[in-house]
Amino acid sequence: MTEIHLGRNVLDHQLLDKDGRRCGNVDDLAIEGGAGETAEVVAILAGPGYWAQRAGLLGRLAGWIGGSRRVRIPWEEVQKVDSAVWLRRAAPDYGLGRGDDRVRPYVDRIPGADR
Amino acid sequence: MSKLLNLALGILAAIGGFVDIGDLVFNTAAGATFGYQLMWVIPIGVLGIIVYSEMSGRVAAVSGKAVFDAVRERTGFAAGLSALLASEVVNLLTLAAEIGGVAIALQLLAGLPYRVLLALGVLALAIVLWTLHLEWMERVFGYCGLCLLVFAVAAVKLSPDWTKVGNGFLPHLSQNNPWLYLYFAIGLLGAAMTPYEVYFYSSGGIEDGWTAKDIGLNRANAIVGYALGGFLSLALMIVGASVFLRHGINPEHLGTIALGAEQPLGKIGLLLAIVGILFAVGGAAIDTVLSGAYNVAQFFGWEWGRYRHPAGAPRFALSWVALLVCALAIVMTGVDPVMLTEYAVIFSAVALPLTYIPILLVANDPEYMGVHTNGRLANVLGFAYLIVIMVIAIAAVPLMIITNVGQN
Amino acid sequence: MRTYSSLVGRKVETESGLSLGRCHDLRGELTGSRLEVLALCVGRAGYLDRFGIRTRAHDEVSWSAVVRIDGDRIVVRDP
Repeated sequence: MTEIHLGRNVLDHQLLDKDGRRCGNVDDLAIEGGAGETAEVVAILAGPGYWAQRAGLLGRLAGWIGGSRRVRIPWEEVQKVDSAVWLRRAAPDYGLGRGDDRVRPYVDRIPGADR
Repeated sequence: MSKLLNLALGILAAIGGFVDIGDLVFNTAAGATFGYQLMWVIPIGVLGIIVYSEMSGRVAAVSGKAVFDAVRERTGFAAGLSALLASEVVNLLTLAAEIGGVAIALQLLAGLPYRVLLALGVLALAIVLWTLHLEWMERVFGYCGLCLLVFAVAAVKLSPDWTKVGNGFLPHLSQNNPWLYLYFAIGLLGAAMTPYEVYFYSSGGIEDGWTAKDIGLNRANAIVGYALGGFLSLALMIVGASVFLRHGINPEHLGTIALGAEQPLGKIGLLLAIVGILFAVGGAAIDTVLSGAYNVAQFFGWEWGRYRHPAGAPRFALSWVALLVCALAIVMTGVDPVMLTEYAVIFSAVALPLTYIPILLVANDPEYMGVHTNGRLANVLGFAYLIVIMVIAIAAVPLMIITNVGQN
Repeated sequence: MRTYSSLVGRKVETESGLSLGRCHDLRGELTGSRLEVLALCVGRAGYLDRFGIRTRAHDEVSWSAVVRIDGDRIVVRDP
């Protein structure tokens, strides 16, 4: 049982999968429960599709460049929260790190890419 | 390799790597315009970069966070994105100036057309970055950059009036042309406290797996490396004063700056100066482009790493390639690299608070730093330099306008 | 379902119209794999927090005191 501040300790922190691979950032959180009920964080929201909500004009521009991808990771998939947010499984299982996966085939074609 | 040897090598690389095109331009120009009167600014700049680097290095070692990780976590997505944009614009301008500098140095050696050398220079940098291990690269560029020590030799050989030089270390304001004087002071500080060096340094620390045990090494590296590099800046100013001021020359071209070493030392001095400039500026270009890629990757949470082969961090690799291409496009327009350098240094001074402040805050945060938060000395210096940095950030653009980018 | 970003930044008021400032963070409790939201962090400290200056001196409103969330504000029960 630990006390954490969502903005300070979770939001905008690095996401790491079970192998320690960097696979994005916590861009937003999904909270269920409203007035008069208990409120619970049910999912981590990641991806350029969530940037517009965070940063106004600049965020919209960044989102437009980055794309509309939205990834939702159920909170049960979080293994631990320390300086980063660690997930239980590998990044592709959540649809994370797809940006790198998409660019990799082009990078691989250039000699020396996997020295 | 023993720790001591590693430290020595690191310091050598830091000296060669400390001087970039901003320092070359501003230090000699300041000497050529005001003689030794601005000597006192150089130690202030050197101490500033030591303070900033030491904090960022300690943050990296203890918390495992690089600069833009910390910026995003601390100030949030919106403010962090603005800081990222500003930093990338400055990085791009700096990179363009450095590529121009490399091409000019190559032109002095090989005499091929400028634009051809621009393309060749960028291609060479790209191949080096893509295929070679960075440690190796750093050593090569750092050691060859040591050829710049010829300016130190030249400074002594020119037998300046050492009393006048000594007087230059007493802070004062020139009665003659005070606005231009202040512009140069800000330029010297901006050129010494280049943020890209700090981004590069802290990201490198994380890749080298620094832990709290390495804080001492980090501190020693930063202090000795930058201090010795600071001596090179002093030498450049002395050469500027002794050679150019006397003849009323304004060193607006890198070739002119290299001639400063020829005067006392002849052709060998000139050759060493050009080679030194080539590798120091080339090495700086590598640091700049990688730090630009680090910032973007760290902010968005992508995989990153200079030791990682490009296939392991594809978007990171794509980022530095894209930066090189954009920088090449900028210089290909024929803009004068020295003028570009002045703009890059001034805007770098304006953007400096955006990343300095979050690092200062994180370095004081026990949640990140455990027991290694700033001690009293670190905070006295840290906050003193916060004031310095805010002053130069606010004054930089007005002074640039008043003095017409130092043309006055 | 709401997002964190849609809650934080809203004005927080009591039912009788007293303004408590803006919500600048949410405090939660992590138990196993359940993260429950316990309180709103409100007040002046919020602005400082935005620049990364963290102070201990902020006020909290327990989540159970939230009466309704509408428009651009969060309404809580009078203390």
